[in-house]
Amino acid sequence: MENELTYKIDRENPSEIEAAIEVLLFAAGDPVPLEQLAAVLEIEKQKLLPFLRNMGATSMRGIVLRELNGCYTLSTKPEYEEYIRTLLEPHSKQGLSNAAFETLSIIAYNSPSTRAKVEEIRGVNSDSAINRLVEKGLIKEAGRMEVPGRPVLFEPTEEFLKSFGFTSLDDLPELQEE
Amino acid sequence: MEFVPSGAYSFKLEAFEGPLDLLFHLLEKNKINLYDIPIAQLTDQYMEYLFAMQELDLELASEFLVMAATLLHIKSRMLLPDKKLPTEGEEMDPREELVLRLIEYKKYKQAAVVFAAREREWSKLYFKLPELFQWEKRIIIEELSPIKLAITYNEVLKRNIAKMDKTVQKGIETIIATEKVTLRSKIRQVVRTLMEKAYFKFSELFSVKTQSRAEVVTGFMAVLELAKVRKVKLKQDGIYKEITVSRVEGSMNNGE
Repeated sequence: MENELTYKIDRENPSEIEAAIEVLLFAAGDPVPLEQLAAVLEIEKQKLLPFLRNMGATSMRGIVLRELNGCYTLSTKPEYEEYIRTLLEPHSKQGLSNAAFETLSIIAYNSPSTRAKVEEIRGVNSDSAINRLVEKGLIKEAGRMEVPGRPVLFEPTEEFLKSFGFTSLDDLPELQEE
Repeated sequence: MEFVPSGAYSFKLEAFEGPLDLLFHLLEKNKINLYDIPIAQLTDQYMEYLFAMQELDLELASEFLVMAATLLHIKSRMLLPDKKLPTEGEEMDPREELVLRLIEYKKYKQAAVVFAAREREWSKLYFKLPELFQWEKRIIIEELSPIKLAITYNEVLKRNIAKMDKTVQKGIETIIATEKVTLRSKIRQVVRTLMEKAYFKFSELFSVKTQSRAEVVTGFMAVLELAKVRKVKLKQDGIYKEITVSRVEGSMNNGE
């Protein structure tokens, strides 16, 4: 990329680097891959990481940086949620049912999974739970399994990571064994 | 899972996610060790629930009945040990498969609780939606001489001509082949349509998309042919007006 910019940040100045990261993530909204941040800012990935860490959840700012699957995005700090609620009175979100949470955990830990796999573990038809999760954007179709009938596979989405605070599927807590 | 006093049914039966969930409820209620399930007792309680559900006319998911059958099967196998198996050694416990399923299910049931808690916590976070960018794309202007432009233009023309030639050489036969419409197939189509309805408009014989001159001509010949053998009646109110094709009663029975 040829960057013909009229204003160039001082790459020796940490606060300016953080400011530039903030600007990019604010405008993008969607999570931005580390590679892209590095390319746009013309700073090596390794050098960028300490800044990203510094802007993370322990930062003193109200808007903090979150990592999702090697991408970065901004979010509000959870502690201040009630203030937001007082100001905006958002509609309370329709929660998920137990069935949906069970189904979601099965798909998250066995990604990608078929409907049959979910049903096998739960011992009950799970179509409506799966449909609900797809509708909420927490899981999505991920191709088909190459077995007779070619059943649809499902995997968790980035929205799932976002809503449950995981940076990636490797970040899931270990399943408790008996 | 709330405590259910013995002898009283919890009629929140729909709350059970399925037979495994119900079994868990029973195991927990009776503080039963998963690895030594008193299958007779569990089966009795499970059946009690099913009967209660039936009395309430609740629609029973078939999975509940399958589990009932499974429990009864295990129970009978516990009562009647398999004679064929050697008395010593690794005899498979009839309960094993069920226990393994329960353990597997329990893992995800617990994970679901963790997920629900995390979701509550993380729903307190707000993310910003992406900006809707409307700025213009940057146009890179290159220095070009008029001669370069003329050359490029000529090249494009030449390329187009070459492309046309290629289509003409190898493509033409297939184009005709795909458009082939036979009189016979059109007659069949008219007869089939008239078997479903008493009359139709000639223009309805073709969809707007597939309409080709060859198809319309063949279709027209088809209705003329059928009119000649008195299978259909044709009506047109004036020149260029819509042609109505209607069936002649009794003529469609002996097929085409």
